[in-house]
Amino acid sequence: MSETYELAVIGAGPAGLEAAITAAEAGVKTVLIDNFPQAGGQYYKPLPAAFSASKKTGVEKAGDILVQLINGLPVTRLYNALTWGIFKEESGDGWLITLYGPDAPKQVHARRLVLASGAYDTPVAFPGWTLPGVITCGAALILLKNQRIAPFKRAVVTGTGPLLLSGAAHLIEAGVQVVSVCETNRLKPKAILYGPTMLGEWHRLAEGANYLSTLIRGKTPYKMGWSVIEAHGQNHVEEAVIAKMSDSGIPISGTQQTIKVDTVVCGYGLTPNSGLARMIGCKFEYHPHQGGWIPRRDGTLQTSLPGVYMAGDCAGIGGAENSRLEGQIAGTAVALETGHIDKQKAAEFYGRIKSDLVQQRRFGKMLGDLFSPQAGLISLAHDDTMVCRCEEITLAEVKAAVAAGARTIGEIKMVTRVGMGNCQGRMCEHSVVNAIIQELIAENATPETVGIYSIRPPLQPLPVGFLAEAALEE
Amino acid sequence: MRINQPTSLLPEVQRGKLVKITVDGKPIEAYEGETVAAVLLSAGISTFRLSPKNKEPRSIYCGMGICFECLVTVDGLHAQRACMTPVANGMQVETCKELEL
Repeated sequence: MSETYELAVIGAGPAGLEAAITAAEAGVKTVLIDNFPQAGGQYYKPLPAAFSASKKTGVEKAGDILVQLINGLPVTRLYNALTWGIFKEESGDGWLITLYGPDAPKQVHARRLVLASGAYDTPVAFPGWTLPGVITCGAALILLKNQRIAPFKRAVVTGTGPLLLSGAAHLIEAGVQVVSVCETNRLKPKAILYGPTMLGEWHRLAEGANYLSTLIRGKTPYKMGWSVIEAHGQNHVEEAVIAKMSDSGIPISGTQQTIKVDTVVCGYGLTPNSGLARMIGCKFEYHPHQGGWIPRRDGTLQTSLPGVYMAGDCAGIGGAENSRLEGQIAGTAVALETGHIDKQKAAEFYGRIKSDLVQQRRFGKMLGDLFSPQAGLISLAHDDTMVCRCEEITLAEVKAAVAAGARTIGEIKMVTRVGMGNCQGRMCEHSVVNAIIQELIAENATPETVGIYSIRPPLQPLPVGFLAEAALEE
Repeated sequence: MRINQPTSLLPEVQRGKLVKITVDGKPIEAYEGETVAAVLLSAGISTFRLSPKNKEPRSIYCGMGICFECLVTVDGLHAQRACMTPVANGMQVETCKELEL
């Protein structure tokens, strides 16, 4: 029988690192698990170990501090380890976590869980979105910042939210010509109400201003209320079509322009990476402005399952600072529950972070209100557009399944095979849900009636031999 | 293309040791720490695989191991994510092989 930990933290980004640090500092016996070879997550993403930098960016330095803290604590660190399943222990007490990775044990046991698995770019399907040269904003930033590679030469950046500015500014500094930045959402008049929220965020204002000045230097127009609606090319993007968008996210006919580009960078907000929580049965609620389906949590960030906490963007998009605070909250809650700190110490902690948390939640709400992708974006997909990239299922096939009587995403999956491929539905869920709702407007279909894919182990495809071996050892 | 001109957002970095890999039998230079995806893109190769049903070209999309679009064959092992696989000296990468997990 392998070791039993008091706490397993899954994901070593801003939220997971803080949760593990907070818990371990209080004396909680903790294991920290991450799929990548180094801690930091997608936000701090450290340079590859073989690279060296004479000067680090502010974000890299902030990440280094957390990594040094965790390295100085008695925490078992399992990196390069994919958590492919979580199972309730047969005794009913605690969890069995199954891992896959070159140096990872096949399983660990833990009494409590903090899930901190982050988020990924929300995939929006449009004609040509499977062509080489169409990449997410996250992919562009990883190639630029982490790999120091300029992907291609002439780009258009499309989507919604401040990440577009970051992506565009980094592309320009890397020597890529950015033809335009298309912000799909128009700034609503109510944005002015968020003035006071922004005043508490000087560093973010400064960062945004810095990106904007790079755009101005690069003579890159920032087009509000526009989006890329198609990409064309033989074996690679050769041109993109952009158009003005209505407030509900539908292209306005007659406004199309064709631009010569070899890259379309797409950043339509972020979707919580909550597969593990869904696998073990945490209850979820639909909150479009926080990235879609969000776990129900109490004030200590405990989910509907006792002893299971969720922190950071995997539980609703709020950004890195919010994720750090949430990690500390979950870590403190576990320390209290396991008897390593008393109620007074926990109360002192909550008092200390309260105003910061209120500010970060306000900031997250602002981003969600102003920059969530509109449901109308499903209108970009044509009948022959692949909505499921893995199984190559078109919008027409999804519509046909609805016409034949399917009403939920589970039924559509059984009929068409959408969501059954390698990505386990992460790339198509958003599009398929919106497509079903669009087809069933007359029946008042909602995200709640359509539902989400059920997630089963393994979370990601594993070599068949590995699974057979793991089963034999049990 | 590798970025070699330091700027304020992208300050100077020293890449790892020079290594040699082959891509579809052709020798290509790479640096330790780089991913297979980054090396392919900087060598001008953007079609990593063909989709099984319609044989359409596919490449890196999410860049963080989520979408499984950038699958290539590495040292004979099928369906490896190019964005998650670091290069190593002598590595043999093959693109556009029939990929089934």
